[in-house]
Amino acid sequence: MVTRGSWTRRGFLHGAVGTVALGMKGLSGAFAAPYVLQKGSKLTFWGGLIFSDKANKLLQEAVKTWGDQNGITTEVVMINQNETVQKVSAAIASNTMPDALDMSLDLLMVLSKQGVFLLLDDVYDSIGKAHGGWFAPVAAATDTSKVAGGRTGIPFGVSGNLLLRRTDLLKSAGFENPPATWQELVQQAAVVTKPPVFGLGLAFSNVGDGNVQISALQSFGGRIADDTGTKATIKSNETREYLRWVKDAWDKKVFPPGNTTWDGAGDNQAYLAGQTAFIANTGSVGIAAKTQDPELYKDTAYSSLPAGPKGVISPIQPQVRAVFKSSKNPEAAKALIEHLAQPAFMNAYFDAAIYGPVLQDQSKFRGFTQDSILSGLLDLVQKGTAPGYPDVYNAAYADMWNNFVVPKMIQRIVIDNWDFERAMDEAQAQTQAIYDKYK
Amino acid sequence: MRQRPSPTVKSRPSAEAQQQLFAYALVLPVVLLLVGLVGYPLFYAVYVSFTNMVVGGGGDWIGLANYRYLAGSPVFTSAIWNTVVLVVVSDVFKLAIGLGLALLVNERIPARGLFRSLLMLPWAMPAFVAFLTWRVLYQPIGGGINLVLTSTGLYPGIVDWLGQRSTAMPAVIVASVWRGFPFWFVSILAGLQSIPAELYDAARVDGANAWQRFRAVTWPGIRRIVIITTLLSSIWTANSFESVWLLTQGGPSDATMVFPVLAYFGMQTQRIGEAAAVSVAMLPALLILVFMTTSLMQGDGNEQD
Repeated sequence: MVTRGSWTRRGFLHGAVGTVALGMKGLSGAFAAPYVLQKGSKLTFWGGLIFSDKANKLLQEAVKTWGDQNGITTEVVMINQNETVQKVSAAIASNTMPDALDMSLDLLMVLSKQGVFLLLDDVYDSIGKAHGGWFAPVAAATDTSKVAGGRTGIPFGVSGNLLLRRTDLLKSAGFENPPATWQELVQQAAVVTKPPVFGLGLAFSNVGDGNVQISALQSFGGRIADDTGTKATIKSNETREYLRWVKDAWDKKVFPPGNTTWDGAGDNQAYLAGQTAFIANTGSVGIAAKTQDPELYKDTAYSSLPAGPKGVISPIQPQVRAVFKSSKNPEAAKALIEHLAQPAFMNAYFDAAIYGPVLQDQSKFRGFTQDSILSGLLDLVQKGTAPGYPDVYNAAYADMWNNFVVPKMIQRIVIDNWDFERAMDEAQAQTQAIYDKYK
Repeated sequence: MRQRPSPTVKSRPSAEAQQQLFAYALVLPVVLLLVGLVGYPLFYAVYVSFTNMVVGGGGDWIGLANYRYLAGSPVFTSAIWNTVVLVVVSDVFKLAIGLGLALLVNERIPARGLFRSLLMLPWAMPAFVAFLTWRVLYQPIGGGINLVLTSTGLYPGIVDWLGQRSTAMPAVIVASVWRGFPFWFVSILAGLQSIPAELYDAARVDGANAWQRFRAVTWPGIRRIVIITTLLSSIWTANSFESVWLLTQGGPSDATMVFPVLAYFGMQTQRIGEAAAVSVAMLPALLILVFMTTSLMQGDGNEQD
């Protein structure tokens, strides 16, 4: 028997009449798919642990409340997102997988190919129908039909990089508007660089932030591989142009020292410490500033990444939920995933978690209309590009991404003083070797 | 008279053989434990390194393909060289500092016990706290080391300790030495305390100076401990992940890339076979160190017998 608990947590409804209306719409329309839930059964859910304690608690409470209402014993294990690959590998090897879990898109793609997930087309369609439909870029990016014969992941949030800028520094230097191009970005950064404040806090290190440079390279027209996604094409005139931009910026000394070895928090710390005027970030810095440095929060504005000669490349990174085939309670897992898409929960969750929306109706949530960071994320979802675009997002591309080929190419130029040709040759050879593994 | 055939005598194991069987029975649980906890994972890792296993997949046998890929990768060559440099240079400094401090604290100096305790602090500190602290000290802007250099007038500019090829590996080595020298110190100190005082008295009577006493009495007394400590420290340093990961993630430009970090990158790409190949590639060198250590320790035990 289908049991649907209405959302009652006062905190989520506080002061949000519109949200309640959306929630009611969600409650009435979201339950197209009938799930047979067995009272007294168990369900294990691995939630993605993120930097926001509030968001983590909301998720845990939401699952527990849903379990209590439906007579299902739930166990929520929050998994650090940096350790998901290791934990999932171990769980698969020891056959101790949870029923459902949160993960990144690239892990979903790899595991979908292995056939370990249930197809969730019914859940996907049901949620989309109930909440105004999926955003097109999200729908396209998370489509696993080619590798799994159907949809295995249900998107629940989108992250991606926004350009954060210090309006106080930039306005006093005469820059009212965000830089439209990468060249403008360097021009503005150079004007406000006065050590110990440096203009451009972009990472060139072996961390995810360093891979923002892939987007910059692509916006200059550079490509990682050809349209078949098999032949490396990094060495090109467009990449040469991009490297010229990097070297020019480096020679202008607009980057804070240390950016070639920053860890994942390097740009965050530099911005929060007032050492840099621009960073590319998912928005977590803004949230940290909100509590730690309200003045800085007030002086921070958000915009999309600058454009290159080929326009703006701003990839979205969807987060997804999936159900293992090995689940002993697949109906409950599917029902839970659908339940977690309800507006009353997602509205509160988005406020704390700094994810962009995945469903059209979510764009009306309080945060996406009132909060500058969340508005930026909504803009990213609406205008952002699919992961990897214009390259083919496949396993080889993800491998190249995880081996930091582009940041390392930059390191060769700015650290080892290699010329462009030599750096491109090495990157080209490395990338081809990676792509060859997947032939 | 008809002779009765002699009854078949069942051969019973001799007392010695029984004793041996009993001994084998006693060690069997330990052997099973070792096979389960060490042998199986080790051989499984070797097997996986010859497959194209990815997360969630079984993996097919691909022979030496993973090793060929690694051998053709410039970062693999960097990792070999950097791991050797990190291990050798760190060990030299740890030996010098550990030995020097052990000799000092072995003397009758005031507050000797307090010094001994304080010198153990870096070893007692969790590795990630220690290396994150060093990362803060190395910060180009606002980092402790640059602040000292600036405030004392030694160097007014900004030094990017972790962001330059020339200083990144030395910076990692310094942090690694700081974290690891107490093990050397306490090991050598234990060796020093086991040397009979009479030997020093006899050397003094013979007119030996400090250097001669060190060469003739101290060094022979601690030589074996120093060798074992060197081998153990080498194994640990070669396997150390957090020192490099927390400071540089192997950068800049692979200047500090070492085997454990390279294996971690392999894991991040979800290619378990490839990650296993990186780990297995350093196995021969580590096994030599392990066998040398155990044979030396065995020798120690026999000598004591």
